[in-house]
Amino acid sequence: MRRYLAVALSAAVLAAVTACGGSPAEEPDTGTSGPRPVTVGVIPIVDVAPIYLGKEKGFFSSRGIDLELVTAQGGAAIVPGVLSGDFQFGFSNITSLMIAQTKNVPVRIVANGAASTGEPGKDFGGVAVAKGSSITSAAGLSGRKVAVNTLKNIGDTTVRESVRKAGGDPGTIEFVEIGFPDMPAALESGQVDAAWVVEPQLSAVKAAGGTVIASNFTDTAPNLTIAAYFAGTKLIAEDPALVKNFTEAINESLAYADAHPDEIRTVLSSYTKISEEVRAALILPKWPTEVNRASLETLAALGSTDGIFGGTQPDLGKLLP
Amino acid sequence: MKPVLGLAGLGGFVLLLEMIPRAGLVPSRYLPPAADIAVALVGELADAAFWAALGDTLLGWVLGLAIASVAGVLLGLVIGAVPVLRELTASTVEFLRPIPSVALIPLVVVLYGASLQSKLVLVVYAAFWQMLVQVLHGVRDVDPVADETARVYGLGRASRITHVLWPTALPYVMTGLRLAAAVALILCVTGELVIGAPGLGARIAVAQTSGAIPDLYALIVVTGMLGVAINVGARAVERHALRWHQSVRGEVAV
Repeated sequence: MRRYLAVALSAAVLAAVTACGGSPAEEPDTGTSGPRPVTVGVIPIVDVAPIYLGKEKGFFSSRGIDLELVTAQGGAAIVPGVLSGDFQFGFSNITSLMIAQTKNVPVRIVANGAASTGEPGKDFGGVAVAKGSSITSAAGLSGRKVAVNTLKNIGDTTVRESVRKAGGDPGTIEFVEIGFPDMPAALESGQVDAAWVVEPQLSAVKAAGGTVIASNFTDTAPNLTIAAYFAGTKLIAEDPALVKNFTEAINESLAYADAHPDEIRTVLSSYTKISEEVRAALILPKWPTEVNRASLETLAALGSTDGIFGGTQPDLGKLLP
Repeated sequence: MKPVLGLAGLGGFVLLLEMIPRAGLVPSRYLPPAADIAVALVGELADAAFWAALGDTLLGWVLGLAIASVAGVLLGLVIGAVPVLRELTASTVEFLRPIPSVALIPLVVVLYGASLQSKLVLVVYAAFWQMLVQVLHGVRDVDPVADETARVYGLGRASRITHVLWPTALPYVMTGLRLAAAVALILCVTGELVIGAPGLGARIAVAQTSGAIPDLYALIVVTGMLGVAINVGARAVERHALRWHQSVRGEVAV
């Protein structure tokens, strides 16, 4: 999930790319001349395991899609790839997509990505403190230093909501930007008082004696949608058949993933280097096929409160499929 | 004697790497002992994906270095030989040269995404200045007496370039090449690490995201060894190209 959120790349540049983007989106195959090559930009994290599994299971090839998964180091690299036509689809967290939408970047969600488990204390991401910390609840985070992977994104808005709901003062938290992989060490060495970590780092923190003191996703909304697959509006307009096939294939993959957690834990070894013990024990996200619109409205409202959309409101009608 | 000392130094370093985590100075979760790193390294070497990543890194390195070298030498010779051009570009070169290549990452990501092109821009930008500046120095170093003598003997422009200018500049070109080769590798891996363009750097990033710390260090060791190999290779090329030069022919001490 590392940095998949930094769409905060200058929107002007993005707009320029789309304007002059000679997006060589290949002409849709007219006949039955073999499978259509489709490239999807993903981040090598747990959340995208269903698409790897779905590819293995043939959910894409059965729909005439020759799927290629390209890993990029974050949404900041994926959004431009989708806009330029290098990727037909991409994976991003919801808040980043909302930020993109408020900057009029022409993207739209085509399928759900990953969601919170909805179980407080047993979510795939949470706010953790190091062993022996005096902080025992979200309220105790007031005035403390908390690590998030990207500032002004889904991490800090949802952590603030946890603190708000616990009766603390979210305005006094000092957020620090630290990549997820570095968070266990930052916690242990005392650089930060708490950290918003996701799997597999959450497992690492717990193994080092850390405690999860708040589940910021479940505190924000029941069954919060965290991430989604998206496409450029140009492709959606020009090749609705491809988008429909892709969405169906993703949905089949998500449903299969939710029903077969063991296979998901196995497929993780194909594109990550998460150790076998951690793979067996880590908490998986939920993979519903529907984007939870209510939870997105909550996220949008929180983001506006925290001022991450530059004074505007995301237009969910333009973002949702 | 020299290689023995070098190996002893390396052995000492490995021993230190083994001792620090074992002694508990740094938790082994974050710095595994050398033995664990070695095991992970063997695992990497047995993985086809590792070799593909190594190939991607080397491809970016060799292409980037080639583009930067050719461009640096050609532009350096032209700019260096024409005083007006030299005056005209001096301040611009000094302005552009210290800009770290990594500062271009946001730009190349927007332009090319996680691709070979992105990497090439970073590599070429960093390596080009190393070459250009050395070539400029080399051209400036031409002995005026030698140049005048060549003129007096009626050598044309082309002959003077091949017989006077190029031999003078070649040691500088070789130094530039050696520096550029090292810088190109650094930028190649950095680009892969930060952007996610395919290669060893991207593999390091995956190991890091996955919390596979021994693998992470194993890959770092590989990039280090790659650096050593590149330096040794560059020095061999340098010795070969300058076998006539007094810096290499040590016996004719002037």
